[in-house]
Amino acid sequence: MKFRDRVILVTGASRGIGAAIAKAFAAEGGLVVVNYRTNAEAAETVAAQCRALGGEALPIAADVTSAEAVTAMAEQIGQEIGRLDVVVNNAFAPYRFDPDNRTRFWETPWESYGQQFEGAVKAAYTVSRAMLPLLQRRSGASIVNVASDLVTRPSIPYHDYTTAKAALVGFSRNLAVELGPLGIRVNCVAPGLVYPTDASAATKEEVREMLIAQTPLRRIATPADIAGPVLFLASDWSGFVTGQTLHVDGGLVMA
Amino acid sequence: MIEHAGHLPGFECEALRWRRASYSAWGESVEIALPELEAPQAKDLCETVRGNARARLKRMPTARVVDAIDAAIARLLDREHPLRRKAEHILPIVTGYDRETVRLGLTSYLKTFRRPQLLRFLAEDFANPAVLDSFQPAAKGGFLSAHGPGLLLHVWAGNVPALSLWSLICGLLVKAGSIGKLASAEPLTAGWFASLITEIDPEIGQCLAIVWWKGGDEAGEAPFLQAADTVMAYGNNTTLAALRAKLPITTRFLPHGHKIGFGMIAREALDSRKAPALARLAAHDVARYEQQGCYSPQMLFVERGGRVSPAEFARHLAQELAAIAHRHPRRELSAAESSSVAAWRGAQEMRAMGGAAELLGEPTDPWSVVHVERPEDLSPTGLNRTVKLVAVESLDEVPALVAPYRSFLQTAGIAASPTRLFQLSESLGDIGVTRIAPLGRMTAPEAGWHHDGRFSLLDLVTLTEIEQSAEAASEGFAPYVD
Amino acid sequence: MLTQAGIIEALLAFIALPDATEAEFEAMALKLFAWQFRNNEPYKRFALQRGRTPLTVKRWRDIPAVPITAFKDLTLSCTPPEDATHVFMTSGTTQGVRGHSYHPTLDVWKRSMLTNFRKRFMRGRERIRMGILFPDETALPNSSLAHYLGLARRECGTPDSQVFIGANGLDLDRLLPVLAEAETSGEPYALLGASYSFVPLMDALEQQGRRFILPEGSLILDTGGFKGQSRELTPDEFYDGLEAAFGVPRASCINMYGMTELSSQFYDDGNAVSQPVKSGPHWVRSRVVDPLTGIDLPEGRRGVLVHHDLAHFNSVSAILTEDAGEIVPGGFKLFGRVDGEASKGCSVAVAEFLAAARG
Repeated sequence: MKFRDRVILVTGASRGIGAAIAKAFAAEGGLVVVNYRTNAEAAETVAAQCRALGGEALPIAADVTSAEAVTAMAEQIGQEIGRLDVVVNNAFAPYRFDPDNRTRFWETPWESYGQQFEGAVKAAYTVSRAMLPLLQRRSGASIVNVASDLVTRPSIPYHDYTTAKAALVGFSRNLAVELGPLGIRVNCVAPGLVYPTDASAATKEEVREMLIAQTPLRRIATPADIAGPVLFLASDWSGFVTGQTLHVDGGLVMA
Repeated sequence: MIEHAGHLPGFECEALRWRRASYSAWGESVEIALPELEAPQAKDLCETVRGNARARLKRMPTARVVDAIDAAIARLLDREHPLRRKAEHILPIVTGYDRETVRLGLTSYLKTFRRPQLLRFLAEDFANPAVLDSFQPAAKGGFLSAHGPGLLLHVWAGNVPALSLWSLICGLLVKAGSIGKLASAEPLTAGWFASLITEIDPEIGQCLAIVWWKGGDEAGEAPFLQAADTVMAYGNNTTLAALRAKLPITTRFLPHGHKIGFGMIAREALDSRKAPALARLAAHDVARYEQQGCYSPQMLFVERGGRVSPAEFARHLAQELAAIAHRHPRRELSAAESSSVAAWRGAQEMRAMGGAAELLGEPTDPWSVVHVERPEDLSPTGLNRTVKLVAVESLDEVPALVAPYRSFLQTAGIAASPTRLFQLSESLGDIGVTRIAPLGRMTAPEAGWHHDGRFSLLDLVTLTEIEQSAEAASEGFAPYVD
Repeated sequence: MLTQAGIIEALLAFIALPDATEAEFEAMALKLFAWQFRNNEPYKRFALQRGRTPLTVKRWRDIPAVPITAFKDLTLSCTPPEDATHVFMTSGTTQGVRGHSYHPTLDVWKRSMLTNFRKRFMRGRERIRMGILFPDETALPNSSLAHYLGLARRECGTPDSQVFIGANGLDLDRLLPVLAEAETSGEPYALLGASYSFVPLMDALEQQGRRFILPEGSLILDTGGFKGQSRELTPDEFYDGLEAAFGVPRASCINMYGMTELSSQFYDDGNAVSQPVKSGPHWVRSRVVDPLTGIDLPEGRRGVLVHHDLAHFNSVSAILTEDAGEIVPGGFKLFGRVDGEASKGCSVAVAEFLAAARG
């Protein structure tokens, strides 16, 4: 029970990768704050699954790009739990990974970039800032940001999405330098294509086959695959690791 | 393994009663045999040391004593020397400090006793150190010579490695016959040093003895207390008061009581670049010797108005302490020490509940930082890497906060601009602070420092003056008088 | 949502059970923790600071235990303190600050006391003639011990039971004839009081060269140690002295261990040997922890005692004491107070500093 007595905030945890991460922490005895934006029912289901796995869960609704909502969430965590050990910035702006119908560069309006920046960097910024006082109360706190292996190898150029994730990696490295002396580690997990999730539903079988063919481990990531490295970066097993990006894509990217 | 402590010139090992004490730490243990002298033996020893010193040491030039100390220290600094290796092996087990702390601490301490430092030390207290050897012309006219006590007794306390060498060397430099009483918490280094001196210059070794008696054992200590001309003692005020009460009124008593150190950090030192570095230095001072030293900081006063707030500085300090704990693990604490830390933490936690304090570090962490935003008086912490950080509007408030504890003051670590360093030092000097150090060097006093603000050598000697008129009068009795 | 009435009812039912399994105790303890967390503001802050809240705590052992000194500094009560019908205070300490325990009702406190007292002291006997060596609750309204002994006397003492300490201290002139009468009556007699009250009595008897042999079945109950109120005796000196003075065998001399900051007491089964095993009733669980980390120590290792007393519902049920103890089969052993240590080196430690500050 690696996370007994530990409290973990997972943003965007009502579904997909976030839900898988939340459940993995719960299975290790953690108390997971299941953050979600609108889907209370889904969040409650994840919370119930967390409890069934031997952990505890507290669903809290908050739009992670809203400073006000996130501050309220921090306040609630402070009042009901009193501590926070790990933040997993997993939530991101809605995006459809559809290689056949993606917008090409000359079709992509600046606003799309802006929207992805909001979803990736602003969300991580807002949450990290609001949670900092709670994280500082404990020794050995950790922030894990979910980036993408597309940053290193844009197999398909999702311009707005990937650029925002690249910014998130830069953001994380700066944060790692700033917070290291305060005892907080910051790292990224960079998944490849994860299937099935709502966002990857539109990715065609053919594309997946192509990726699989190029992936040394010969398959595509499932949401549960992402959880392991996140747990590693959140635990004291990675106590001397900060500012790193861990690629979780079966070896497609080696960097 | 049994290590025999002490140094007893003229006694055969078998003629003595030895008390065994065992120590363990870091998964190893060691047994130490401490000499217990019968009253007649103790009396003999005192007379032997006094007699030898009168016959030999007092007739030697100081330079020879300096050479012997220098050579002994050189051996202790030589990491290949068997004694140094033994020290590095056994002292961590006996004192509980981690190996690296002992090794680094020994080196940085011992190197303050090399020849150049010893000469500086002499020059620090004597305008003309040659007064220790013969009559020298005095500025006011006439001649002066300085004489150390015939028999100087050292009563050591505490577990800081090699602390005993300080006073032992002071005694040798003024050519006093010296008997040192070992502290049970570090009963080794003084004896090792004495044996090295004996090996290097046996005549000096004859003027030196290292003994032990059980603290408070009146029969054991009486012969020594009666025989000494001067007693230099370390310990808490209760112990010192008890000791003083047992000394003849004519005996000179030089006590070094327990002290509390503190740090002061000015706003100009608290920018984004310098603050983390300072936190590291402060953490170093806190962790070195687990705050057992008289110079160790227990409280830090941090000025508001810098780029880095006191609250942020507290976090940097906490993280530095956490990082140091990886390199230098904290000593394993005794139940009573744990209780002291727990009691202090508990009290801070109570205050934190009222919002008056912020407690950083979990109970299982080998360190604790408490941060308070309201000025408060100097007070001790739970020791063993527990430190209180007090935010102040201006460092000028600090002297008033520490002044009530004058008798406990000694070292202040200051990080401030030159102008303010002198201003602050002025007010601190007024209220009894005797040493200003930079952060990071609080636990490593300079060679020749004035311990507790006193003249370490000058306090030991008496001067003999030949008045100018006496010299002039003697001329009248010269054979060549006209 | 629980109400106070609901909690009281549940507790009275719990105390009435013949025993409680670990799971039953845990369920009640967690329920109570949630209640205290919600209604006791300083305790809530304490728990939050420890990161232990009803949401994170799943086992009774994880319920955060408040250091006993907190009762001096803080008002630990789930109801407004002015609504308390009884306020018990610790006897004055060196610092002169007294710990407070607020009781909105004494129902649970009394039920806890009586149930356990009958079982551990009365041992099936309905009533016994008692001599009490401690002022009564009219003299000391804030003393939990005065209430304890008063309750014992009313509920378990015969009508001719008496208090022998008044405004002028121990009333030897009344007590000695009563003891003499008890000696000849053949009816068992019980002497109860603070440990330090027995010392001057034993001294007086010795001075007069008097000894009693109280009838078989007589009992002695002492509690609280000497607290600087009398000279200090070792346990062997004390119980040998009692046996010699009153003819009550050491096995029938029972020591009660209790504190103002709890609502239940612990007993041993006699002091035939010193340091006997002590234990509490089924609504109390004790732990021994490392004072610093709060981590449970294994059986046989000495640490600091923590008590989880469900009957102390209005305040805080989990208390970190300053008493050294050791878990042993059947309960725990008590070894007196845990003291801090002076510096091993030459830095000033708290005790010396305080001594100097006090002058």
